[in-house]
Amino acid sequence: MTSVVATNQTILVVGGGIAGMTAALEAAETGKRVVLVEKNPWLGGRTAQLYRYFPKMCHPTCGLEINLRRLKANPNVQVLTLAEVTGISGQKGDYTVTVRLKPRYVNEKCTACGDCAQAVATEIPDAFNYGLGKVKAAYLPHSMAYPMRYVLDPAIIGTPEAEAARAACKYGAIDLDQKEEVVSLKAGAIIWATGWRPYDAAKITPYRYGEFPNVITNVEFERLADPHGPTGGRILRPSDGREAKNIAFIQCAGSRDENHLRHCSRFCCMGSLKQTHYVQEKYGDEGKSTIYYIDIRAIDRFEDFYAKVRANPNVTFIKSKVARISQDKDGNPVCWGVNTEGYKRYANTHDLVVLAVGMEPEVKGVDIPAEVMSDSSGFIMADPLNGAIFGAGCATNALDVNRAVQSATAAALRAVQVVNQIARAEA
Amino acid sequence: MSELNQQMAARYKNNFLKEIEEQAEMGEWVKMCMQCGVCSGSCPTHFHPGWEHPPQEIFMMIRAGKREEVLTSPSMWMCTSCYNCYVRCPRKLPITHIMHGIAEYAYRLGLAPKMQPTLHLSQTFWNNCIKTGRVNEVRLTQSLYFKDGFMAGIKKGLEMKDVALGLIKAKRLNILEALGFGHKCKDVQGIHRMLAKARELEAKRKGAKAQAA
Amino acid sequence: MSDKKHAAYICAGCGLGERLDIAALEAVAKKEGKMQIVRTHPFLCSEEGVAMIRADIESEGVTHAAICACSRRAKTEAFNFPTTAIARGNLREGVIWVRPDTEEARETTQEMAEDYVRMACAEVKAMTQPAGNPNTGMNKTLLVVGGGISGMTAALEASKAGYKVVLVEKTGSLGGWAARLHRRVPTREPFKSPEDTGVADMLAAIEADPNIKVYLNATIAKTSGAPGRFKVDIAVESGPTVTEDIGAIVQATGFTLYDAGKLPHLGYGKSPHVVDQAGLEALARAANGGPIKRADGKEVKSVVFVQCAGQRDASGEHLPYCSGHCCNTSIKQAIYFKDANPDVDAVVLYTDLRTPGNGEDFYRAAQNRGVIFSKGVVSEVVPAGDGLSVKFHDLILDDRNAQIEADLVVLATGMVPNSGVNIDSLTAPQVEGQEAPAEGEVKPVSILNLTYRQGPDIPQFKWGFTDSHFICFPYETRRTAIYAAGPVRRPMDIAQAIEDATGAAMKAIQAMENAGLGRAAHPRSGDLSFPTARLEGCTQCKRCTVECPFGAIDEDEKRYPVFNESRCRRCGTCMGACPVRVISFENYSVNTVGAQIKAVNIPDEFENKPRILILACENDAYPALDMAALNRNCYSAYVRAIPVRCLGSVNTIWITDALNSGYDGVMLMGCKHGEDYQCHFVKGSELGRYRMSKVYDTLKGMNLEPERVLDLEVAITDLHTLPRKIDDYVAKIQQIGPSPFKGF
Ligand SMILES: Cc1cc2nc3c(=O)[nH]c(=O)nc-3n(C[C@H](O)[C@H](O)[C@H](O)COP(=O)(O)OP(=O)(O)OC[C@H]3O[C@@H](n4cnc5c(N)ncnc54)[C@H](O)[C@@H]3O)c2cc1C
Ligand code: SF4
Ligand code: SF4
Ligand code: SF4
Ligand code: SF4
Repeated sequence: MTSVVATNQTILVVGGGIAGMTAALEAAETGKRVVLVEKNPWLGGRTAQLYRYFPKMCHPTCGLEINLRRLKANPNVQVLTLAEVTGISGQKGDYTVTVRLKPRYVNEKCTACGDCAQAVATEIPDAFNYGLGKVKAAYLPHSMAYPMRYVLDPAIIGTPEAEAARAACKYGAIDLDQKEEVVSLKAGAIIWATGWRPYDAAKITPYRYGEFPNVITNVEFERLADPHGPTGGRILRPSDGREAKNIAFIQCAGSRDENHLRHCSRFCCMGSLKQTHYVQEKYGDEGKSTIYYIDIRAIDRFEDFYAKVRANPNVTFIKSKVARISQDKDGNPVCWGVNTEGYKRYANTHDLVVLAVGMEPEVKGVDIPAEVMSDSSGFIMADPLNGAIFGAGCATNALDVNRAVQSATAAALRAVQVVNQIARAEA
Repeated sequence: MSELNQQMAARYKNNFLKEIEEQAEMGEWVKMCMQCGVCSGSCPTHFHPGWEHPPQEIFMMIRAGKREEVLTSPSMWMCTSCYNCYVRCPRKLPITHIMHGIAEYAYRLGLAPKMQPTLHLSQTFWNNCIKTGRVNEVRLTQSLYFKDGFMAGIKKGLEMKDVALGLIKAKRLNILEALGFGHKCKDVQGIHRMLAKARELEAKRKGAKAQAA
Repeated sequence: MSDKKHAAYICAGCGLGERLDIAALEAVAKKEGKMQIVRTHPFLCSEEGVAMIRADIESEGVTHAAICACSRRAKTEAFNFPTTAIARGNLREGVIWVRPDTEEARETTQEMAEDYVRMACAEVKAMTQPAGNPNTGMNKTLLVVGGGISGMTAALEASKAGYKVVLVEKTGSLGGWAARLHRRVPTREPFKSPEDTGVADMLAAIEADPNIKVYLNATIAKTSGAPGRFKVDIAVESGPTVTEDIGAIVQATGFTLYDAGKLPHLGYGKSPHVVDQAGLEALARAANGGPIKRADGKEVKSVVFVQCAGQRDASGEHLPYCSGHCCNTSIKQAIYFKDANPDVDAVVLYTDLRTPGNGEDFYRAAQNRGVIFSKGVVSEVVPAGDGLSVKFHDLILDDRNAQIEADLVVLATGMVPNSGVNIDSLTAPQVEGQEAPAEGEVKPVSILNLTYRQGPDIPQFKWGFTDSHFICFPYETRRTAIYAAGPVRRPMDIAQAIEDATGAAMKAIQAMENAGLGRAAHPRSGDLSFPTARLEGCTQCKRCTVECPFGAIDEDEKRYPVFNESRCRRCGTCMGACPVRVISFENYSVNTVGAQIKAVNIPDEFENKPRILILACENDAYPALDMAALNRNCYSAYVRAIPVRCLGSVNTIWITDALNSGYDGVMLMGCKHGEDYQCHFVKGSELGRYRMSKVYDTLKGMNLEPERVLDLEVAITDLHTLPRKIDDYVAKIQQIGPSPFKGF
């Protein structure tokens, strides 16, 4: 049985992405006791799945490294992975929370040596790479996974392969008897930081995502460009593994659209501007990018990043929302539409189309197991009615990393205010 | 310039957007367009030279007060009501209906281009239809085929003969209609009264909207 | 030194036992490492393994342990013994995982492992476990400078958490710009109508809050001290200067609107009916919900908003950036007109309309009210008749001569931060791309008046915004426990400023708490080590006081360095800078690294086994090496890697010592520097590199080829390229031939 040490002066953080980790660490480094709950078997969230950040073009794993080091050094935080909050009762300053823990089938004895993976043949879609590749059913989620432990996929549990994996581990780290369990814990305040998910591109039917292999999403493109990704950082198109050198970026794929997401997702313009750098980085002048957009929202200090991309002769901007995509006989996607700056029709053939899909909340407001106010997109709205449940990061709005971190730091203070009040009352 | 046109031009002076909002069916949606261009790109008949201005551009022109250019344009008449733009518009503008609304308004003002094929079809269809309360397909086809002259009509008719034969076989076309026989509606008078009432209501509504604004 | 007891623990798990001759490693630890206790365990990180070490600490009195197993980044929690000095010999990620499991590789792999054992033993012997210095400063009052929305928020939020606050505002009232607005952009569903600014409520809350002490008409005359013990002199207009004891500071000094007078082509100054957005707020407040009137009293019937006025300017004449709020602000202002009188024609001319998030609903709400949006570039605004004529290029209709007449024109001008003195332009000549203020230009007035050796204000980023470690750690300025909030650090709207200020208050509270405990702030949060200087050896050269990226070191009257521990972030730049090597940390010093360098066994020139030293930044380069290992990307057995806190902490003596003792080459691996720096100590890698550029002179003096030192910029994702770069470098060194210093 997993034991959790928590009181009504504990802060519960739900979601271990950059916002959740930040909120947890800021509170813990102020001396507060924190329990951090993450659904995946690893921490880091979606930023760990990005290759570079705009505007500095630095690597998300660089910040993750620091945050993990902070975490390893801080005894105030207890991390629960493969965990989901299923119920919240009580009120501000006195919550009781139930958490469902899924089995990992691998305990803390794991040294990440990888012997179990050697013993397993079954492969499953690689979730970390958005299914673009495969991993063994005994796998380390990624090179910076925390906890640095392997996971056994439920697919092989109960099969001889699981037994083989167990036999291969010299350290007794594989425990096939682990069962799903439900733990209950106390918390004075809750920070809800479950983040976002990419909008389901298949719903934008004229773009034929899922049907045309060379129409992919921006999150998938990050994996293609990343050395940790399925292609080792080479931009190869899914249909035939050929180098994709002429790439279209379609903005507002699902965002700013009353048939899909009403809001503007804020990050995706910058995201595509950044991704044109990847094309330039890999292919130099042979790489061509075309951005189809409605408005380029390179807000505040990001403007100069936009200016630099604009100055790149290998990047073309077309003010147009692409109407539809077709596919030619060689499997090349063709974008159809009208350049609205002076009514020019186009039917442009590309090697690859990247849909700049927008953000929606991973857990919609109504699905949070507590009374929480949310806007029409499902993002949490600050409200006194929420008690001591505070949103952080992209659970509250479509935000970029920098703003998500700000939001998480603010949420940490709101939670600290509550537990400090209790501490003063109980002192 | 028709009298109504003069009247309207004077009434709305520089505010063409307002004129469209009040006078054209669904015109109140024009202001909601954000110029993404999906509608323009979605149109399957875009290759036709009659598409002088695609929907999104028409909407911008309306906002920019280009009254003459919009109302005399053949563009709105090019719409085949395929609804591609309509379903894709991220602002949920009922584009197909707006296009028809503007077209109808241009027609009312007498500004619609003369002998524009779709306009001609609509007119002919309408006249044909209200006469008996039901469409007389043969006469309708005849008048369309022969609109560009006798020879052109014969040529078109021959081109389409297989289609026509198919329709006759399927009992979808009655050759006797050419002589004025064929299906009719039971109460033709009633239909005419209904249409008159509809016109009256429509006029009232537009007047009221103009006053309220 | 009788109370010291050294032990080495060697792990035989994870394949180490199969791949390495563990008995030989034990012998090395014992004989060469001079470890009093040497133990091997088949699975050292297991409960039993850890218990074995703990038992030695408790009953054998082990004070120093060299753990020769996996990387220091792995099993960190298991090998955490708070009172014991620990060095980690990296045999797994550093040796067997980067070496092929072949017979011919066996010998060199074993040599590599033996060296890492020697190094771990040498390092741990040179270390002391830091205990921290908790008496650095216990004050927990927060100073907030600037009483706008951001400042008021920081004050109220800190107070809610139970902290005392001193709020200093330059003008006679609180509220800043927000107090001058008629309404604000909506922040709640349905995001359709402008809402109350909320300023009145905040003013009342501050008034009623006994924790918050407000100084109006006041500025900061002097800030001295360090986190937890700042002394701040507050100059109050018409009154004596007051001194407050302060723990941490939030600077929320906001912005000034860009001077629209610089935009005569947009009609400002030529007609009283061209106003900026602030001017429009004033008109709207005067109208108070009724029809908005111009300066001449005429009711406005048509208004044009010109977006990005003097912003997003590529010519270099005006602001190059976007202020982010002004699209929404113009929408809000157009709605003022429409809500007072729907017949007013309101047109917004923009190039990109920027209404992120739910701003999209607000945009739709304005369209729904009949506000017209046109994509176009305004070339000129000229008086015409009683009003104005706006000439623009309509980009959609491609009409270069488009024109609109209006009674009033509103210019969306940008935010210029009130960030005080740019200290980089005052002092450091080595900062590229920044120009000193031109002769005759008004010098900005300092905001904080810090008595720091390096200058009176927080260092700035380009365009005058205060610098921070952008993206992952947005609050980390280069002045410990001084945080910036609101548009002074980045253009932003009220909603974001409130969020930002709340976060800044959190960081400030955290900084005060940690200063009281003697713990470092980010990124080495919780670190208890701190730099000390043996002043007997100091030559007063001032390198450390100049270079410290965080302004932690002042100078006394005799120009000796004075370390302010709670300002220090433990990067070690001072240690790297010191030419006489008198600065050190308990657990990280010229000695701890120097001893490792010396411990490596250098084969003679006939063996054709070069030795190459790698000094790798522990934040990015070292993890990249680890991850290369995790992916079993092999590299040469001739390198020996030592993690360093930052490239800035690398003292050139390490390099010259290494070369003198027969190493054939040295690779330095650090983060990117410059404008898009990635260095977690901001300037560390830049300063380190600058220093290393001087090494080449030394090489010349030693008659060595310049290739013997390679400075590599390494990112954490270089797991595939880095091993190749190492191998290439080794090949090159083999080409050049062995160092002439071997055997001396
Ligand atoms: C015309 C206009 C309309 C806007 N409309 C909106 C809107 O509708 N919605 C929205 O979200 N945002 C809007 N904004 C943006 C919004 O005003 C800012 O985001 C917000 O006011 C920032 O608050 P602040 O406290 O950080 O800065 P400021 O309001 O500039 O406050 C800074 C304070 O610090 C004081 N100060 C400066 N230097 C010193 C010193 N040396 N010592 C002591 N005190 C000092 C100043 O006097 C001032 O009181 C608008 C901006 C403008 C210009
Ligand atoms: S950020 Fe850009 S791409 Fe993303 S929704 Fe907004 S406008 Fe569209
Ligand atoms: S699709 Fe809709 S929003 Fe886009 S241009 Fe057409 S009408 Fe406007
Ligand atoms: S927010 Fe809008 S008006 Fe302001 S600078 Fe940015 S794009 Fe221009
Ligand atoms: S360790 Fe770094 S922050 Fe501390 S005094 Fe030295 S240079 Fe400054």
